[in-house]
Amino acid sequence: MTTNTSMTSVIQKTSAIQTWSRRFFMAAVGSLAISAAAGMPAFAQDAEWQKVIDAGKKEGSLVLYTALVGQPSTKQIAEAFTKQYGISVEVLEARASEIRERVRVEQAAGRFAADVMFTSEGQTMLYDKEDKSVDPLPVTPNSQKIGDKFKLKVPMASVMTIPYGIMINTGLVKPADEPKSWKDIADPKWQGKILSDDPRAIGAGYLWFFSTYDKIGEDYVKKVASQKLVFTRDQRESQRRTARGEYSIYMPVIMTDFSDLKGLPVKFIIPEEGVPYVLYGNVMLKKAPHPNAAKLYLDFMQGPVVQKIYAGLGYGPVLGGMTEGLPADVKAISEAKLYGTTDTTRQNEMLAKSKDIFK
Amino acid sequence: MTIIHNRPLDDIAETAPTLGGNAFTRAFSGGSLWRLIGMLVLILLLGFLTIYPLAMLLYGSLHSTPPGMAGEFNLNGYRSIMTTQNLIVLANTVGISLAKTIPSLTIAVFLAWIVARTDTPFRGALEVLITLPFFIPPILTAMAWGMLANPQVGVINMVWRWATGATDPLVNIYSYGGVIWHMCQYSIPFLFLFMVDAFRAMDPSLEESSRMCGASRWTTFRKITLLLMLPVLTSSFMLSFIKGIETFESALFFGLPAGIKVITTDIYESINHRATPDYQYATSLSFAIMGLMFLLVIWQWWMLRGKSFQTVTGKGFRPSVMELGPWRWVTFAICLMFFFITVVLPIGQLMLGSFFRFFGFYTYDMLTLEHYRAVFANSEFWRAVRNTMMLGLLGATATMALGAIVAYISVRTRWRGRSLIDGMAWLPWMMPGMVLGVGFLWAFAMLPGPIPIYGTVWALLLAYIALGTPVSVRVMTGAYHQLSYDLEECSRVHGASWFQTMWRIMVALAWPAFAVGWVLTFFGIMRELSASILLYSVGSETLAVVLMKLWANGNAEQVSVIGLMMMLLVIVFRWVQLSFIKSRISKL
Repeated sequence: MTTNTSMTSVIQKTSAIQTWSRRFFMAAVGSLAISAAAGMPAFAQDAEWQKVIDAGKKEGSLVLYTALVGQPSTKQIAEAFTKQYGISVEVLEARASEIRERVRVEQAAGRFAADVMFTSEGQTMLYDKEDKSVDPLPVTPNSQKIGDKFKLKVPMASVMTIPYGIMINTGLVKPADEPKSWKDIADPKWQGKILSDDPRAIGAGYLWFFSTYDKIGEDYVKKVASQKLVFTRDQRESQRRTARGEYSIYMPVIMTDFSDLKGLPVKFIIPEEGVPYVLYGNVMLKKAPHPNAAKLYLDFMQGPVVQKIYAGLGYGPVLGGMTEGLPADVKAISEAKLYGTTDTTRQNEMLAKSKDIFK
Repeated sequence: MTIIHNRPLDDIAETAPTLGGNAFTRAFSGGSLWRLIGMLVLILLLGFLTIYPLAMLLYGSLHSTPPGMAGEFNLNGYRSIMTTQNLIVLANTVGISLAKTIPSLTIAVFLAWIVARTDTPFRGALEVLITLPFFIPPILTAMAWGMLANPQVGVINMVWRWATGATDPLVNIYSYGGVIWHMCQYSIPFLFLFMVDAFRAMDPSLEESSRMCGASRWTTFRKITLLLMLPVLTSSFMLSFIKGIETFESALFFGLPAGIKVITTDIYESINHRATPDYQYATSLSFAIMGLMFLLVIWQWWMLRGKSFQTVTGKGFRPSVMELGPWRWVTFAICLMFFFITVVLPIGQLMLGSFFRFFGFYTYDMLTLEHYRAVFANSEFWRAVRNTMMLGLLGATATMALGAIVAYISVRTRWRGRSLIDGMAWLPWMMPGMVLGVGFLWAFAMLPGPIPIYGTVWALLLAYIALGTPVSVRVMTGAYHQLSYDLEECSRVHGASWFQTMWRIMVALAWPAFAVGWVLTFFGIMRELSASILLYSVGSETLAVVLMKLWANGNAEQVSVIGLMMMLLVIVFRWVQLSFIKSRISKL
């Protein structure tokens, strides 16, 4: 019995302590919960992310495949990444269809050589749905900060948009006659004077066709088709041909090329409706040999360092506030209103339409 | 007198005395078992280089998905190519290829004859100079001709308008004529290089006999010179015609704006410009074309069967030239005009443009050396130069060695299986480069894991050897056709071993052809992009890959700088080679 009594007193004591400590705990949690929401989970996440950073540094290198060929910015970004994390970046460049087939075959043969692929939104859908060669996207600190419309359903960490507009030869087109919008291209005065990227094959011309067909309509596209467009498939050479005076207008032109052509009699025009665009970003490839370095790279590309590099070249950043302080001409292109882009699921239907209209 | 019917070749090869020596010597010289093993090794090697990648492509054409993906076998690929539109495109392609091959061959024969068989002044320098455009990447000459001959502001048309007051342009490069002309820029120098040494190796006594029998110069040229050259001419025709079917740069650049379609632009589009590359369509179409091309090879075999074309015999060989008298200035003028139109005009543009900020804007304030500086300071460029040089030297040497062996066996022996290896060596030529590149990718990547070829420079090297073999075999076949059997017999009777004979007679006498083949293969490797882009790995970029990147980024002027440097290298190579030939010939 005595035991029982003493037991009871112990229990009472304990429960008193417990009650007190529960109160204290609740209060403590309450106050912490206020400081909140912010502090605690971030600490936890930071710790998690720190683990990724440590593991990534340990992996020491990263293999990047890119479908954006010949851009000096790729090297510049890789160097900045190496500087920040001490992780070296090996880059392999090839055109979209070539690099996609390489990844597919490598994975089919069990050779998992690449970590990250820099490619377009449309290609990502194919990597994901058809080839099944990509992993789900990791959540990284910067991935939550990008603009909502760049958070995609497909597993691509958006990085930047490539804007397309109109280029004119200033020697052949008087300022008063300059086209200001996509609709102006249909003006009969331009008949035979427009050099155009071929809209019947995947590329810039098709991008223009897709967005204007959807937004302005079939009649407009048919009107443009009756302008006797001359087709080409070499973006850079076509810019030069227009500059040399072969044609008055070249469209659609990669707007960011304007800086390469400074000194030539050309003008890049942002159409009033906006710029058709291609969204580029990174995907994590399956069984990446350096998965943590890959996560760091994905995060780095959405961070301010890289976003500023791209904005400075005229590309559209996915992170806000990156165009501050840029020269006016670059800023205008980088901030140009996004008009439309292609939809991979409608590719066959739209290509057939284009081939039908632009025989 | 034109064609000597052959005595049974079996006498020569089958009854060759068995000699001692090491296993390798015996493999080719001696007993039938060793010969069998030697042949087997050769067949396996060629099989790996040509049949294996083609087998992967054949799988691709018969399977709904490319290798490594779940799918089913069907004939949809072949069904989908059977359209009237494709038939029209095929007819168009054959027409374009014939339209470029026939004039190219005619001009190349004429030029080769002038350079090798006449006393035209400065023919040594002309021999090097008229071949230069061949070594420049096609995209550069296309750009240059675009600037020279576009109907709006092309230099030629501007001069024409200024001189005549006309309003219509004189030439338009964006037309059938333009496509054919641009192709000729490559086929004329190629055919010239391919044939010139065969012309040189011809015994002029045959021509002299004809002349003494009262035949005119023209009849002699037609009935003696040309007929003796039949193996080389038919090979040239086929190489050039098949290449014409497969070239796509000219059609893409100049044909597309004019609505001209050829088979390869169709294949290119099905791989590069569709949402998902349609490999089943691309490979089916390629195999259909390949089947048609093979008919040509059979035609050539049938035509050359049982005939002999030996011009280099044991009887004193005196390679002298025809004295044209005052006519030699006419031939010189023709060469000079050719040189001006096909070399000075386009390459002059590239050279001029490389010193200005932009091509076509030749004002004083645009003068610059920045393109040269940028190229020289580009570390990736130098790395690519090292890789390409290594691959070029190794690849060209290996390819020519393989080609020499295959050609020797197919032309100068009656060994069982010689037609097989000859046929196998043709195969890579008949598959469009961009499709064959995919074949190599599939073949090398799908090799069992422990075979470390994919992702290394060996993948590139093997692909280059396979791609170069058709030309190397053709070059050496042409040369061996001309060597008489008595030379070999004489050497063997005097106690030389098979290898000594091979070295002293077959190599020494055929080496000018070997050297030309080497240069063609070397620069073929330097320019190859379709397979390189699919097989290169990080750090093993080749020059073609770097050029593609620069071009894609709009650095046409830097691409020209590199193109011009490649051309300089050609001049050095050819000069060394030709001065070597000269010193050899003077010793003969």
